[in-house]
Amino acid sequence: MIAECARESEVLEAVAFGRWPGHGDLAAHAASCAICADLVEVARALHDDRDALCREAQPPAAGMVWWRATIRARADAARTVTQPISVLQGIAGACIVGGAAGLVTVAWQSMHWVDRFGDMAAQLQSRRADIAAASTLAGGHGLPLLLAVAAGLVLAPLALYFTLADD
Amino acid sequence: MRDVTLSQLEQFGAAAADREDTFQMDEDAFRLFYERTARPVWAYLSRMSGDARLADDLLQEAYYRFLRANVSHESDAHRRNYLFRIATNLVRDIRRRPRLDEQRMTEDAEAIDHADPQSADVANGAVRRLDLARSMARLKPRERDMLWLAYAQGSSHKEIAETLGLKTASIKLLLFRARRRLAGLLREGGR
Repeated sequence: MIAECARESEVLEAVAFGRWPGHGDLAAHAASCAICADLVEVARALHDDRDALCREAQPPAAGMVWWRATIRARADAARTVTQPISVLQGIAGACIVGGAAGLVTVAWQSMHWVDRFGDMAAQLQSRRADIAAASTLAGGHGLPLLLAVAAGLVLAPLALYFTLADD
Repeated sequence: MRDVTLSQLEQFGAAAADREDTFQMDEDAFRLFYERTARPVWAYLSRMSGDARLADDLLQEAYYRFLRANVSHESDAHRRNYLFRIATNLVRDIRRRPRLDEQRMTEDAEAIDHADPQSADVANGAVRRLDLARSMARLKPRERDMLWLAYAQGSSHKEIAETLGLKTASIKLLLFRARRRLAGLLREGGR
């Protein structure tokens, strides 16, 4: 339940504008009214404390606050821009680790095929004529093929670097 | 990690310039607004957090958030209320940290207690402020916010409701109870 007094606003105004206790009528009323007495007690204490704190306050200059805000906004902007790149780098790193793990797995499995190389060598021995024909063909066109593979290995990472650098 | 290229640095600069444009006011307008509000906001932060040094940091943070907020204000009073709302939220965040609140307010009270009064008026004022600091420390955070906004800041019930995120209709009752409680504590000398 709220108890109200019709003179609350009058009392509050007197305190807020530093006119308290002012004329005797209002002070006499506050002395006899519990609601207004509470109001005066609280409002004066808080009002005086605020005034004292405002006097004590040594806030930085407006220019300093503005400058710091500008610097921070710039840092936030840079962070926002670099965030997708960091994510992309993380994905690339994960792909490299995954690929390496896959290669290790494949290499491990291929170890089992070593046992069968002996059988394969025996089979190849019976097809020497075919292998000789294939070697002659590769000798004629092997160099361009080798250069193409080497160029691909060098150019692919460069192309990837410039693509990411431009975005 | 890949190094940042020059073109990216240029992009950062452009992005930063864009960000400055997104501040809700220009530097001159900010200076005027700051001169009017910095001390009352600092006083509020200082009393509500109970730590003058913390209030310095919170003040900078409050103005940064204020500048970055993409909000249009219909009046200067509305703009000021919005700033106090940010300040209130910052203090709430601080209060969530363990046992910072009452301890700091008590330290603040001790600082006032050890002040060296040079006259009877100063001594009386220091005692009253000490009582207030102790009494405020015993109130609920929301009661402190509400009382300060109403009686130190002179905010209306509507403004208090907007600042604290409460219903306007409930402010009258909550304020009445908080006021009665603080008055009782002050009469006891804050003990």
